Amino acid sequence: MSIEISQLSKTYNQESDFPVHAVKSLDLTIEQGEFVAVMGPSGSGKTTLLNMIGGIDTPTSGSVLIDSENICELDDKALIAFRRDHVGFIFQDYSLLPVLTALENVEFVMQLQGLSEKVCRARASELLTMVGLGEQMHKVPSKLSGGQQQRVAVARALAPRPRFVMADEPTANLDAKSTSELLDIMQSLNEKEGTTFIFSTHDQRVIKRAKRVIVFEDGKLTEDKQQ
Amino acid sequence: MGNNSQVARKKAMTAQIVKLAWRNLWRNKIRTGIMLASMVFGLMGVVTMMGFLSGMYVSMIDNAIAWQTSHVQVQNKRYLEDPDINEVIVNPAALYSELDRLPQVSAYSARVVADGMVASARANRGIRINGVNVTDEAAVTPIAAHIEQGTWLPETGRYPVVVSQKTAERLRLSLGSKVVLTFSDVNKDVTGAAFRVRGIYRSPSSSFDDANLYVRQQELSKLAGVEGVHEIAVLLDASQSGDSFDNQGAELVAQALMKVSSTQNQIRDWQQVQPMLATIISQMGVSNGVILLIFVTAMGFGIINIMLMSVFERTREFGVLMAVGMVKSKVFLLILLESCLLGVTGAALGLLGSFAVIALLGQTGIPLGSMSEGLGAFGVDTTLYPVLKTGEYFGVFLIVVVASMLASLYPARQILKLRPVDAMSHKH
Repeated sequence: MSIEISQLSKTYNQESDFPVHAVKSLDLTIEQGEFVAVMGPSGSGKTTLLNMIGGIDTPTSGSVLIDSENICELDDKALIAFRRDHVGFIFQDYSLLPVLTALENVEFVMQLQGLSEKVCRARASELLTMVGLGEQMHKVPSKLSGGQQQRVAVARALAPRPRFVMADEPTANLDAKSTSELLDIMQSLNEKEGTTFIFSTHDQRVIKRAKRVIVFEDGKLTEDKQQ
Repeated sequence: MGNNSQVARKKAMTAQIVKLAWRNLWRNKIRTGIMLASMVFGLMGVVTMMGFLSGMYVSMIDNAIAWQTSHVQVQNKRYLEDPDINEVIVNPAALYSELDRLPQVSAYSARVVADGMVASARANRGIRINGVNVTDEAAVTPIAAHIEQGTWLPETGRYPVVVSQKTAERLRLSLGSKVVLTFSDVNKDVTGAAFRVRGIYRSPSSSFDDANLYVRQQELSKLAGVEGVHEIAVLLDASQSGDSFDNQGAELVAQALMKVSSTQNQIRDWQQVQPMLATIISQMGVSNGVILLIFVTAMGFGIINIMLMSVFERTREFGVLMAVGMVKSKVFLLILLESCLLGVTGAALGLLGSFAVIALLGQTGIPLGSMSEGLGAFGVDTTLYPVLKTGEYFGVFLIVVVASMLASLYPARQILKLRPVDAMSHKH
C-alpha cells in the first residue's frame, strides 16, 4: 500500500490579506513499510502534511491517493472509517484518555472498529506486553511516566492494525532513554509487521534511525534522502 | 449468529461509552460535587414545597368534604335557586332506599335547614340553622369529635343547640347559656324558640364556624312547620371515594341517585357543590408546575455551565477521539450521557432526600403558627402534613433528567461542529 501525494497545497486564512501557505504544491510517494522522518523547522508545514495524509485535515488543492483512492474526496463518514481502520496516530502529548487504564485506552480504538471484547482484550494485552507495559496495563495514564504513556500511545496506534502510523513529534517530551526505547519498539514493529511509520520531528536521534528523511522548509520539500 | 455478535459488540461499545461518561463526570470531583449538592438541596426544597402545597390543598379539600359538601348532596332545584323553607326534596324515600342499597355509601344525613338569627342577651347575628338527625349527622360529619366544650346534641332534653366556638365568643355564650333562634316558617311568619347551649364545636374552617349551628331536626321541623328535608348529604366509604382529588366515586353515586330521583331534585357531587374545589385541584398542578419550572430552568443553566466548562476544557480530547475514528454520533452520545448521568444522580439523591423530609414532616406535621388564623378561613388545618404521590416523584425525576439532557445539547453542538484538526489544535 503506497501513499501518493500530488500537487498538495494547504493555505490558511485564504480569504484574508495575509494567507498562510503551510504546504505548497507537494509531490511525494511513500511506499508500504517505509520508516520516514519528516524534518524541518517549526512552522514549516510538517504537522499539516501529516494531518492531511492522516485524513484529519483537508488540503486546499491536490490529492492524497492511498491505494489509488483519493482520501481528499471522501465524505465525513468515509473519512472517519478510513482513519479508524487504516491510520494510527501518535501525538506529542500522548493524548490518552485520562479516565481509562492503559489497557482500556488500547481496547477503546478497537471497540470503535466493532471488534469483540475478547479480541480487543487479547490484542491490547499483547501490544502492551510488546511495548514493555505488561505489568502496568491496569494503571491510568497519570500513574505512568511520560515514556510509558507514549508507549501506550504506540500500542493504541497499532491496535487497529493500521496501514500506516502518523507520529507527530513523538519524542518531543521524552528523555534520551525513553526516546531510544520508543524508537526500538517502533523500528521493531516496522520490521516485523511492515507497518509504515511517518514521523514529524526535530530530534536528531529519531532522524538518525529513520530509513528515509524528508526535509521540509517553508511548506516545500527541499530534500528527500534514503539512509 | 452474525447479527447476534454484532448486537453484542454494539452493546459492549455502548457500555464502554457509559463507563467513559461516568468516569468523565467524576474527573473534577469538586465541580461535580458542588453541582450535585445544588441539585439535591434545590430539589429537596422544591419537592418539599410541592408537598407542602399539596398537603394544604388536600387539607382544604378533605375538610370541605368532611364538613361542608360531603361527597354527594341532594336538594330541590328550586331550593338551590332560592332557599325557601318550603322547597323540600321531592320523594326522599326513593333516595333513602337507593342510598341504603348502594355499597359504596358509608352514611348519609338528611337535614332541615333554615336561615335565621341567633340572639343572646348580648348580641345577635345571622346564622344557618341545621336541623339534623343526631346519629346520622355524627356519622357523616366529624362534628361529634370536634366538640370543644360540652357534648354533641343529645337525643333527649328540651331544645339543645350546638354552636361554634366563634359564635360563642361573639355572642358571649357558654355551656348552658340560653339563645333565641328566629326564622321564617312555612307560612312566611317569623317563628322561633329559646335553646340551651349543650356543646361548642370548632371546625378547621373559621368561615364555616361563623355561619352554622346545629339543633335536632324534629324540633326545627316542628317550629318551622316543615314536612320533609332540604338537604341530603352523602358520605362514601373511604375505599370507594378515592384520594382527595378523585371525583369518580362521587360521580358514580350521583348517577345512581339520579336514576331513582324526581327530576325536581338536583344531585351534585362535591366538585359541583363547591366548584372552587375543582379550581383548586386544577390550580394545584399549575402552581407545582411553575415551582418546578423555575427550579428546572435554574438547574438547566447550571448544568449548561458545568457542561460547557467540562466539554471545552476537553476540546482537544474530543478532537483526538474523532481523529482515532469515533463517529460524531458517539461523541454526542458521550456528552449527552455525562449530562444524563449527572441528572440521574442529582435527581435520585434529591428525591431520596425529599422523600425522607416529606416522610418525616408527614409524621410530625408543620404547625402553621400565626398563619393558621388566616388559612383557617379556607378550611386549612392548623398543622399541615406535606404529601406527594409516587407518580409525582417519578414525574419530577423524569423532568430533571430530561432537562439535564437538554442542557447538554448546546455544549455538544459546539464540539460537534468542530473538525478533528480544529478541536486538536485547541489549547486549554
